[in-house]
Amino acid sequence: MDMDHRAPAGTTAALHLRLGSFRYSEAHAETLGEIELEFSPGSLTVIAGDSGSGKSTLGGVLAGMLPRPGADQCQGTVTLAGQRIDYSPEHWPRIDVAGWARHVGLLPQDAGLYLSGIRQTVAEELVFARENEGMPREEMAGLIDELSTRLSLEHLLERDPAKLSGGQERLVALAALSAAKPSIIVLDEPLAGLDSRATQAVTSMITKLRAEGTALVVLSRTAEAWEAEADFLWNLAEGTLQRATAGAATTALLSKPKRPSVPAASAKPLLGFSRVQLGYKGASAPVISNLDLEVRAGECVGLAGANGTGKTTLLKAAAGLIKPTAGKVRVVGDAGMLLQNPSDQLFERTVAREVAFGLPKKSIKRDRVPLVLAQLGLESSAQTHPYELPASARRLVALATVLVREPQLLLLDEPTEALDSAGLYYLHGAIDSVLERGGAVLFSSHDERFMSSTAHRVHQLQGSD
Amino acid sequence: MKRRVAELHPFTVICLAVLTVSVATAASRWWLSCAVIALCLAIGAFAGKARELAALSGAIMLPTLLSLLMIHGLASRDSSPVIAAWGPISLTRGGVEIAMALALRTAVLVVAGLLCGLLIDKHQLVAAIDLSPAPPQAGYLLASTLFLLPQMMEKQHAIGQAQALRKAGTSRGLAGWLQRLRLRAVPLVLSSVQDAHDRSVHLAARGFPARGEHSRLRHVADSQIQRGVRWVALLCSVLVPVAILVPLGGAS
Repeated sequence: MDMDHRAPAGTTAALHLRLGSFRYSEAHAETLGEIELEFSPGSLTVIAGDSGSGKSTLGGVLAGMLPRPGADQCQGTVTLAGQRIDYSPEHWPRIDVAGWARHVGLLPQDAGLYLSGIRQTVAEELVFARENEGMPREEMAGLIDELSTRLSLEHLLERDPAKLSGGQERLVALAALSAAKPSIIVLDEPLAGLDSRATQAVTSMITKLRAEGTALVVLSRTAEAWEAEADFLWNLAEGTLQRATAGAATTALLSKPKRPSVPAASAKPLLGFSRVQLGYKGASAPVISNLDLEVRAGECVGLAGANGTGKTTLLKAAAGLIKPTAGKVRVVGDAGMLLQNPSDQLFERTVAREVAFGLPKKSIKRDRVPLVLAQLGLESSAQTHPYELPASARRLVALATVLVREPQLLLLDEPTEALDSAGLYYLHGAIDSVLERGGAVLFSSHDERFMSSTAHRVHQLQGSD
Repeated sequence: MKRRVAELHPFTVICLAVLTVSVATAASRWWLSCAVIALCLAIGAFAGKARELAALSGAIMLPTLLSLLMIHGLASRDSSPVIAAWGPISLTRGGVEIAMALALRTAVLVVAGLLCGLLIDKHQLVAAIDLSPAPPQAGYLLASTLFLLPQMMEKQHAIGQAQALRKAGTSRGLAGWLQRLRLRAVPLVLSSVQDAHDRSVHLAARGFPARGEHSRLRHVADSQIQRGVRWVALLCSVLVPVAILVPLGGAS
């Protein structure tokens, strides 16, 4: 690390940040304003904020990944491990990211990006950083045993990291991050996409890490899950921090969703699974066996189940992307699907072009593009590149690409992931609009509050193993 | 057999393949080339890779053989007996012999190389390089090269699924294939660049590529005997061709 000064004597904080401002290169406005934060060993600091509030940028600054030398503009001071680094428009210290990561580890919002992509098994992925430090094999084996027991990962150790479900991927990335034993761990949306068992494993691991003296920083859309445990609660809005009290830090829905009444049993079935078996080529066992499920017009059905039980596979089968290996899938009308990772669904250079992608040139559905953008609060982003939008808005763009086709059957894979309170409001509106015109909705989610407020009924998946 | 092959150090397999190819090429005897190819196919069959080896070898060697026949067989101007003639084009015996000799030499290289590729686990190979005295960048470069293609295949599959959901690129036949290629190419390149950029900062934070002493959890089986075999194979792959070729050069 290029560190210029010694820290003031007497400080006990693992990290002290005094930020004047932060602006990305070529950005018109500052992403972060005046912020002062201090993390002492064993503390839990929760920073809540909507999408686009600057949470991920703050995480990047804490992890030494931002500002990028010669590009971003930053003013401020960071004191880490007893040494001080000054940022100013005239002085960009060049940070050794690997050296910094020994003190501060960051788990990004898209946890898959943390995984190397070049290791064959989860066990190897867990100790990837320790391999690069030269840790002896026996010690690595002990570390893997400890981590897998603590996070109940034993069954995943020999799996290919590239073939994990979204929740499993997050859990493995967190385990890999904690294997490097940094003194501060920054977690960007650590519970997104995790089932209740995995959530329990992560929260108990956080408790244990704190007991060992690790300072935890959680960046989250809502502080609700952390209020009881957190030492410090902050709200981040428009790049500045404000202290929050328990209860006040939680971002609420803009309005309570009004779900239409349960449809009559005589309503027309739009989707039917009959004794269906689903699996992937080369896999030793099917993902789903003997599935019977029917979704009727006007009905909203939630899919629940632990990570890896086949929720995404089921939705893809309903969308016609996967053929069943046994049984029958019947779909009446058009199906549209929102994928779990919105980046997989975005190809064009503006939001408006993205939403119109694939529609025939003379299709009247092209006229619906501005309407759908307005329905999801994206009118002002019509000419923006989808990748430049915050995660919540990007997810809404992906949803717009589905809604513009007016599908009879709307399939949503973890739709609340990365959505802020405004995004949730628009999502509820979109679901209502499909149900009101006689369509049906099938969605998977680990968000129990969303599940109970949205679904008419819940189908529990157990997995075939 | 499969287990025994798996127990071989990747470098041992490569050294033996280098020896085989160099000796067979230097000797340039049709029966030796045929024997080597047969041996490779037999090893492939024992290892359960016969079908892939035959298919991949055929896919490379058939066009190669045809082009060699066109160059040396049809367009040969030597005075050897003509086997068949079509106007100004004739197939001569000498031309066919040259084409077959070159094809056999190429086939030894192709079949032995492919067998190597099929027998060696790519993760074992990267681990072997990481654990060797080679600079850490060597393992990094190989890993990037070997794993880039499968990752891009996964990504283009995801893009294809997303586009199919929007009824784009779903036509059949050659036109459909070309349309899919056009629709997927730009998002594939852009998302791969974005992914590499986003991932690189976390790889750097995890100390990759290692700059100093590093280790691997993965065990790569090795032994004193295998190390000896490797040295002998490498030495022979230089000395045997020299022994074969130098007297011939002196005689002419």
